[in-house]
Amino acid sequence: MTKMKYSILFFWVTLSCVFQTQAQDQYFTRQGYVSFFSHTPVEDIKADNNQVLSILDFETGEIAITMLMKSFTFEKALMQEHFNENYVESDKYPKAFFSGKITNLDAIKNGDVAVAIIHGDLTIKDATHPTVIESRITFEQETIVLRGKFMVTVADYNIRIPAIVRRNIAREVEVSFHFIHEPYQ
Amino acid sequence: MKKNKNNQMRRFLYITGIAILIGILVVSFVFIKMYNKPHTDVFKASPEYVLTAGEIISEFENDEQQANEKYLDKILQIEGVVSSISTYNGNSVITLEAPGTIGAVICTMEPSQNKKILGLEKGKEINIRGICTGFLMDVMLVRAVIVD
Repeated sequence: MTKMKYSILFFWVTLSCVFQTQAQDQYFTRQGYVSFFSHTPVEDIKADNNQVLSILDFETGEIAITMLMKSFTFEKALMQEHFNENYVESDKYPKAFFSGKITNLDAIKNGDVAVAIIHGDLTIKDATHPTVIESRITFEQETIVLRGKFMVTVADYNIRIPAIVRRNIAREVEVSFHFIHEPYQ
Repeated sequence: MKKNKNNQMRRFLYITGIAILIGILVVSFVFIKMYNKPHTDVFKASPEYVLTAGEIISEFENDEQQANEKYLDKILQIEGVVSSISTYNGNSVITLEAPGTIGAVICTMEPSQNKKILGLEKGKEINIRGICTGFLMDVMLVRAVIVD
């Protein structure tokens, strides 16, 4: 619990740092896209969230992302209900956070690479784990676009899956993201 | 006598067989029904709260926790001015702005609304009904529909 509080505090500190630096280097989106996909032989489960907030400081490479768990929509109402009530307990833990830093920023700025390596902490429920994400980074008109996917181990985040549906839900779910960051005015 | 008993046995098995079959059918019917339980039909449901974009944003900005208790998972009808319309992966997102705040109401629309959204323009005042999922910088609605 305290660990979670720290990580959330850390998140807001990152967020405010990001907002304090030079305006021309800040980029953000309030309509970022995050989805997750669980594949098992029994069934595939997919959920989308089009309301993700992401703030990027291209001067320092710091990035802060937050989203509401309830904003994930599923094809089946029952899955959405189980997800919110039993697995992520979204009344108790309404938001997920990621705060991190692009570690190869110079190479990106020089145009040497098109893949950003982001080291950071992912917080879901009351658990925080260091996470490394590789993301395609492209510059389209005025925007900075981050797009990629990574795997999340369900058990790492204190999500308990009852035995009866264990075969229906993958141990690792694939998380995809697509953020079109616009300059912050 | 023996023949009669045999007949009785056969009848018993027959009836039990039918009963088990009906049992299995009922259980699987209920199971499938539950598994396919539909989402709340936001269009048909009547909203629990009717507000303007400015009102709901200021409630969340003033006291997020209290507003969460009041509005989470509820059907809200929000009146506001369209400030942006975007589409990604088949999901349309409409943003309603309010005067005097950077906060907005971000509505992820039902796919059934895509046709209606095509005719929509920025700056138009509309009513949107959706399920409230909370607040980040903006108030969030999902499964939203346009109410005429």
